[in-house]
Amino acid sequence: MNIKALIAKLHLLERQVLPVLDRFSYLSDIARATGLKEVQVMRALQWLQNKKIITLTSEIKEFIELDINGKKYLKDGLPERRLLNALKKGELTIKQATDKAKLTKEELNICLGILRQKAAIFITKNKELVIKLLDQGKKLLEKETIEERFLKKEFPVGIESLKPEEKLAFENLRKRKKILKINKKKIKKCQLTELGKQILESGIEITDIMDRLTPEMLKTGKWREKKFRPYDIAVNVPAIYPGKLQHYRAFLDEVRQKFLSLGFTEMTGPIVETDFWDMDVLYMPQFHSARDIHQAYYIKDPEYGKLDEKLINRVKQAHENGFNTGSKGWQYKFDVKRTHRLLLRTQGTACSARMLASKDLKIPGKYFGINRCFRYDVIDATHLPDFTQIEGIVVEEGLNLRHLFGLLKLIAKEFADAEEVKIVPGYFPFTEPSAELFAKHPELGWIELGGAGIFRPEVTKPLGVNVPVIAWGLGIDRIAMFKLGIKDIRKLYSHDLEFLRKSKLP
Amino acid sequence: MPTINFSLKDLQLLIRKKASIEELRELLTYCKAELDDYDKTTDEVSVSLADTNQPYLWSVEGIARLLKGVLGKEKGIPKLKINKSSYKLIVDSSIKEVRPYIAAFVAKGKKISDYLLKQIIQLQEKLSENYGQRRQKLAIGVYPLSKIKFPIYYKAILPDSISFVPLDFKKEMTPQEILEEHPKGQEYSYILKDYKKYPILIDSEKNVLSFPPVINSAETGKIEEDEQELFFEATGTDLNTVLLAANIFAQALYDRGFTIYSVAINYKNKRILTPKPFNENIKIKKQDVENILGLKLKDFEIKTLLEKARYKFQNYKVLIPDYRQDIMHPVDVIEDIAIMYGYSNIKDSPLKTYTPGNTFDIVKFRNKARQLIIGQGFQEIFSPILSNKNLLYTKMNTKDFGTIEVKEYMSETYSCVRTWLIPILMDVLAKNKHISYPQKIFEQGLVTVKKFDKITDFERLAALIASDKADYTRARQSIDALFRALGIGYEIEETEHSSFIKGRVGRVIVNGKKVAFVGEISPKVLENFALLVPVAGFELNLTELFEAIKNK
Repeated sequence: MNIKALIAKLHLLERQVLPVLDRFSYLSDIARATGLKEVQVMRALQWLQNKKIITLTSEIKEFIELDINGKKYLKDGLPERRLLNALKKGELTIKQATDKAKLTKEELNICLGILRQKAAIFITKNKELVIKLLDQGKKLLEKETIEERFLKKEFPVGIESLKPEEKLAFENLRKRKKILKINKKKIKKCQLTELGKQILESGIEITDIMDRLTPEMLKTGKWREKKFRPYDIAVNVPAIYPGKLQHYRAFLDEVRQKFLSLGFTEMTGPIVETDFWDMDVLYMPQFHSARDIHQAYYIKDPEYGKLDEKLINRVKQAHENGFNTGSKGWQYKFDVKRTHRLLLRTQGTACSARMLASKDLKIPGKYFGINRCFRYDVIDATHLPDFTQIEGIVVEEGLNLRHLFGLLKLIAKEFADAEEVKIVPGYFPFTEPSAELFAKHPELGWIELGGAGIFRPEVTKPLGVNVPVIAWGLGIDRIAMFKLGIKDIRKLYSHDLEFLRKSKLP
Repeated sequence: MPTINFSLKDLQLLIRKKASIEELRELLTYCKAELDDYDKTTDEVSVSLADTNQPYLWSVEGIARLLKGVLGKEKGIPKLKINKSSYKLIVDSSIKEVRPYIAAFVAKGKKISDYLLKQIIQLQEKLSENYGQRRQKLAIGVYPLSKIKFPIYYKAILPDSISFVPLDFKKEMTPQEILEEHPKGQEYSYILKDYKKYPILIDSEKNVLSFPPVINSAETGKIEEDEQELFFEATGTDLNTVLLAANIFAQALYDRGFTIYSVAINYKNKRILTPKPFNENIKIKKQDVENILGLKLKDFEIKTLLEKARYKFQNYKVLIPDYRQDIMHPVDVIEDIAIMYGYSNIKDSPLKTYTPGNTFDIVKFRNKARQLIIGQGFQEIFSPILSNKNLLYTKMNTKDFGTIEVKEYMSETYSCVRTWLIPILMDVLAKNKHISYPQKIFEQGLVTVKKFDKITDFERLAALIASDKADYTRARQSIDALFRALGIGYEIEETEHSSFIKGRVGRVIVNGKKVAFVGEISPKVLENFALLVPVAGFELNLTELFEAIKNK
């Protein structure tokens, strides 16, 4: 890489740190040499490492630090110094000297030993033991000992950085009680690479480069005198997580937009439905297994809802004898009380039924609904008791099976991007003919997208609709899983914030 | 949706074609069935059938019968020869209140292999459990003919007036004891719980055949391999259903090569021979075929297609085979025409009329609110609507304000409909304590509230900020910015809400209507969710707000 270009990109911190790196390699030393804080140096070193100007290694190093006595002696003076000072004005008994120098017995013994070894004092016995200074001792009074100098060092100090004289002082002090202690620390060490050395040789300007454009510079026009430091534009930046649509909701928004653009009008219905709208109107016999308490969520309280009794009567007849539809009906006794039972909507088709019965129904008309439905079910990767269904109807004179198939193919293409589509016979109590829609998935093969059919006359006629109605329902949860690349249906309604922050939108 | 298993080879023999598994997959669509599985080592095919109203297809014989039509190996109504016999079954009037109807027949002339026995039991179970509504409407028993002395009596008896050894047990038990102690008795006791007398089938030597719909006798009601003669009966609460079951079974065994003998059922005032043909027919109109399918078919084409589906066609009078009772309306027959024509051969056609698309104003309104709140940096949440009272109230330190609860649930977590959204968002915060703060989340969706038996769904929007800086001001700023962008003026008044800190919760009022709460979540609530960060936010009733501004 072009060295000049590289130098130009250096941050101010890097510029400050780099020139001392031929002399210092430890963080603390570099900080001292540059006058920067250690965190700043560390940042600069990491950037420099990223640019391959230095290598950073960490090593275990032993550090000398002052222990309790060491700190005390730094303040009060070493015991031997204090004894020497006490003897300055003439000889003293041991007791007098100890008191004057404020020594403990232990300290006294140590410093007597040291000073006698250095021939600095002489002890005589005259009733009591008496200490007096010798010539060597008087000289010592004027001179700092190597140990004293050592205590004044800036700790922590790396053992390997000691000079020979300091090493001696260290060895002496180390033997004594709680003056020094040794700690092991992991430290960063940096070393210039070949590239680093070349850069240092070519010289680095520290000033005259602009890190940040400031309003001040703009006001004064000073920016003209400076250069913009080019950034390392490929460097990783910390992630931010702004406000965002939920992935599945965003997909459903798109689906709604598509239906609107295809000329469909939205329909809906209440979450808490009656058996009547959820199933009876749809010509599902009251003995149908989907109506078991372990298939649908029936409501504890209130148990029954209110309905239009005239309409019930027509539906009742449809079940019992076919009403005026030309059907023989299911031929059982329809339970009027039971049709009032309240439950959580089990299928979006309930909304289609309500639309067909509504005063607002337009013929010709196209309707769709995106609605939550509920079924008593286990919870696993493919089942939820609470899921979304998309339903639709087209109401128009002259509709036939071919129109239904055309619409299904359009839907498969629009909503599942399916090029290859298969329509096979199906069964629903409310449609005849009935069909199931499959689409070819590149990895998973044929996937069921939904069901469809032409509403039976037993459904439409009691509602007063005398034109054909084609109806379809999509398992939109499953389609969304394919589109969003999700394998577990629970992820569509996920509460995992990290997943939500990172999830991609359709 | 029933699922059945059978051997592929057996099906190939029955349809007289060595269909591959891929061909079978294709053929099954004609039966509204799907191939679930094929085990190469055992040659076993597993098939699920969509049509809950065509029980004849829940057997390999039924599927084969239809496929022979599809493949052109046979056409029209299948043959079924029923031989007259002297077998008699006497129905006592005591049974009338409990389980009034019975149909029966005898099949002879083929050895029962282990595989065939499994097939018979499979059809018996599928018919009784699925079509028979867990044996309530229909239950079927099959017996070795050799153990039975005719005439057979079908009557109701007192629960402890008789005893016999039931299947799977060694000791004699009364029907009462069976209901209490036998696993099958416990499973089906619900059917008889309202009756003082129980059904029993007993032969002329007082040997009990079975205790319908619960269990057969171990003596006379167990079929062993190599048995050659079978007695079949179906009991139930609906005459047509028991007749249909007998017809389906008789046809299946006839297809297998058995000779079928009728049984005379003697009711008090009438006598019927079963299996009893329904001889049903239905008239269809050529015009309806064209109108519904969009196909212009010639008469002979319609005839051919219906014969494939195993009907008889006589100048638009369509004769229905006796093993079917699902034809209620001409559309049912017309669908079969379409199926036999082949759905893949039907050319699709675009819709003719253009209509303008539209959605609800509230949908547009709520989407606007969502966009605005996202602009404030909130992450959208989309949750299940089902929830639980512990989360909605106990953890929120507040009381139930009208919850729709379900009677039976599989998981307590999903045992009621949510009545407000803040608890849902609190739950999200509680699940994400390891994620970096600040956390700003919102959900827009439906809640359902019950007030004096009036149940109403509301569109709501709730937003929470969890951060060391979260406080009333921030929550208020958020709703304030939202209202400003929507161009809605509001007032705010002091209120009390035990989920929030006292004195730091306000009620937002628009045109006199209370539309939102805004405030700081009480530390008591935070503790319940084990949250160590302040939380503030609001919950807005979009439905009410929309009403409030619409009326002005």
